[in-house]
Amino acid sequence: MDRRTFLNTLLSFLGATALFSFGYPLLRFLAPPGSGAETHKLTVNKSDILPGESKSILVGSIPAIIINRADKGFIALSKVCTHLGCLVEYDKDKKRLQCPCHAGLFDLEGNVISGPPPKSLRKFPVKVEGDAVIIG
Amino acid sequence: MRYFFPLLIVLTFSSVAMAMGGYRDNSGKEFQSQPLSEQNKPEESVCISCHISEIMKPEFRNIPQEWKSSWHSQNDVSCHDCHGGDSRDASMAMSPQRGFVGIPGYDEVPDFCGKCHIGILKHYLESGHGKALKTSGSGPNCVVCHSAHDIQKASIDIINEQRCTQCHSYERARIIKQALFITENKINSIDRDLKELKARGVFTEEEDKNFFNIHAEFRSIFHSVDVSLIKEKTDDYTKRLDLIEGRLKNIFNELEFRRNFSAFLMLVFAGMGIILFLLIKSKSG
Amino acid sequence: MFKSIRDWIEIRIGLDELVRTQLKEYRVPGNINIFYTLGFIALAAYIIQAVTGFFLLVYYIPSSDHAFMSVQNIMNRVPFGWLFRLMHVVGSNLMVAVVFLHMLSVFFMGSYKKPRELTWVAGGLMMLVTLAFCLSGYLLPWSQLSYWATTIVANLPTAFPVIGDFIAKLLRGGEQVSGITLNRFFAIHIAFLPPILVSIVGIHIFLVRRTGISSPPFGVPDKENNNLTEFRHESHPDGLPFYPYFVHREISMVMIYLALLFFIVTFMPTLFLPEDANTPADPFKTPAHIKPEWYFLAPYQMLKLIPNKFLGISLQVILVAAFLSWPFFDTKKERNLMKRPLLLSVFLISVAIYVLLTLWGLYS
Repeated sequence: MDRRTFLNTLLSFLGATALFSFGYPLLRFLAPPGSGAETHKLTVNKSDILPGESKSILVGSIPAIIINRADKGFIALSKVCTHLGCLVEYDKDKKRLQCPCHAGLFDLEGNVISGPPPKSLRKFPVKVEGDAVIIG
Repeated sequence: MRYFFPLLIVLTFSSVAMAMGGYRDNSGKEFQSQPLSEQNKPEESVCISCHISEIMKPEFRNIPQEWKSSWHSQNDVSCHDCHGGDSRDASMAMSPQRGFVGIPGYDEVPDFCGKCHIGILKHYLESGHGKALKTSGSGPNCVVCHSAHDIQKASIDIINEQRCTQCHSYERARIIKQALFITENKINSIDRDLKELKARGVFTEEEDKNFFNIHAEFRSIFHSVDVSLIKEKTDDYTKRLDLIEGRLKNIFNELEFRRNFSAFLMLVFAGMGIILFLLIKSKSG
Repeated sequence: MFKSIRDWIEIRIGLDELVRTQLKEYRVPGNINIFYTLGFIALAAYIIQAVTGFFLLVYYIPSSDHAFMSVQNIMNRVPFGWLFRLMHVVGSNLMVAVVFLHMLSVFFMGSYKKPRELTWVAGGLMMLVTLAFCLSGYLLPWSQLSYWATTIVANLPTAFPVIGDFIAKLLRGGEQVSGITLNRFFAIHIAFLPPILVSIVGIHIFLVRRTGISSPPFGVPDKENNNLTEFRHESHPDGLPFYPYFVHREISMVMIYLALLFFIVTFMPTLFLPEDANTPADPFKTPAHIKPEWYFLAPYQMLKLIPNKFLGISLQVILVAAFLSWPFFDTKKERNLMKRPLLLSVFLISVAIYVLLTLWGLYS
């Protein structure tokens, strides 16, 4: 085999490698994400949480709290404080959520009342069907 | 002749510009005379200007400098955030109407700091230290260990012979320090890893928050000064920190994979370039 | 099998004749040098940008609420998303560098002179469009770096009296850079600029082929182009066949370009992505040391140095206009820059000043 043919073959081989090295990533890139990427539904019994009470839950891997507000019904909020990540605590009497790290205060909608947190607590969708409260 | 019109335009612009040079507009003659960050900086507390001046008592004059080197200062926590008062209006800077509380007394310090550091205050009040302060007035307050203005990021090195033997033998302090040791090391190692990942371009907000939560809990628990509680919690912290470490390790592995993959692509293309170059040479040769 | 496909096409479009006349019999000058491949590399660079940009578009969300996280999603969760994003970021900077080098080498070899003035103008316009691509694309990740660098550059038009504020507001879509600016820049980046660039590329390549490739002016005596009174296509019957000679060179240079791109992606992936590029935009917090990307540093630094805002920006506009219309100023016959010491000095000094201003802007 002379030099030219060798070089040409090598070139084709490398070219094919390059093509495949982009083709495979491209296919993985464009493939639709696997199922289970989105929904983490959790069901809780309505009767377990009296008005004014709360229950700590996990939505996926996110620590969250579901509160039975006397006036506005159920709400599910992430407990992760938007300041630096400490978990907020529910104050039943003062009807608010407080962060033990730097005293960030949130109302029962998740909005910031005072303190260093820059934005509201993440809210999860809640649906009440009979005695079941479905979060997520 | 060809140069006439361009020259005319240049002269027109220059003369108009020079004429306008005499006219000051409110954004200043110069473009970006200050760096953008200087223009947008949050205003310094008015407290600082009086407290560093010559009229101030010597013992107060050092405070702004001490504060400037503190962890509070780096996180934009300023005089009024603790002492109250109006940070923008010098005439109301020390007004009780604006919440000014002045210097807290020795046994008022925990509540003073606990305005923000709620979790820590709770553990402190349940501890031997807190109870000693509340009952007899002789126990360590926050400032004894953390200083008043030159507050640095917490670490177990605050627990040392010099500090703790002010009131009792070092033995019990040593036991607690040992109990904290493992978790402290893990925390430092994860902190370093997170910094390195950030430097390598990875966005780590979720892990940062998760880590901060455990870190803050750990620091808060210490203030109970309860060795058995700390030992009990250490298992829990170790497990959770190990989980974080595992995830961070995965990210490091992913970064290695990316480096190898793009190095491979680089070699493939470099190879093709060289081969083509050789082909050209052999053709023309 | 390939032969029967080729025969089928041959009957329909006469492929053989096209290949013969446009590729094999089309000849390039015998003394052509490697710098002549820069134009093709610039085109290849743009195609890489367009392709990677399209794939990014599949996952990018052009809203100020979601833009940053969608880019992080691409970098961390989408399989091989990091590959396309890094190619796009590094590629954009390399493309600007290639376009600059192409412009400098064309200037150096006097290939802008009669009858090629239009080609130069088209090229200059493409340079400006490329910079517009860079400016609009920079904002899209909605990071601290994006937001504040764009704030600085969007403030530049305010230096014009009377209309300056209006132009700046039009660009930003308001008093400050905001989500409205993001939408505007996104539309400009993916829908407005690409057809413009492609059209000018088409015109540019048409002009190059129609007039014929210029010969490098070194050594070989130049043909008499200045006394042209009618159209004449410049051919090189003693030259080398475009295919395979020059085509192989062009492709090998594109491979080197890609190797360089992946070198940066492998060993310096954060070269164009400092920490501020990985922090979500915060309109209330300006990072220290914010500055535009390297290709805007020289004009930025120049504006900072000139004490009068209006003079500063007028000077920039005048320089751009002069640069675009240079072939109409410089009509001397001599193309060899080495034989024109005055122009050579001006050229070298301008390049030196540009580099100096860039470095000054970088380290100030």
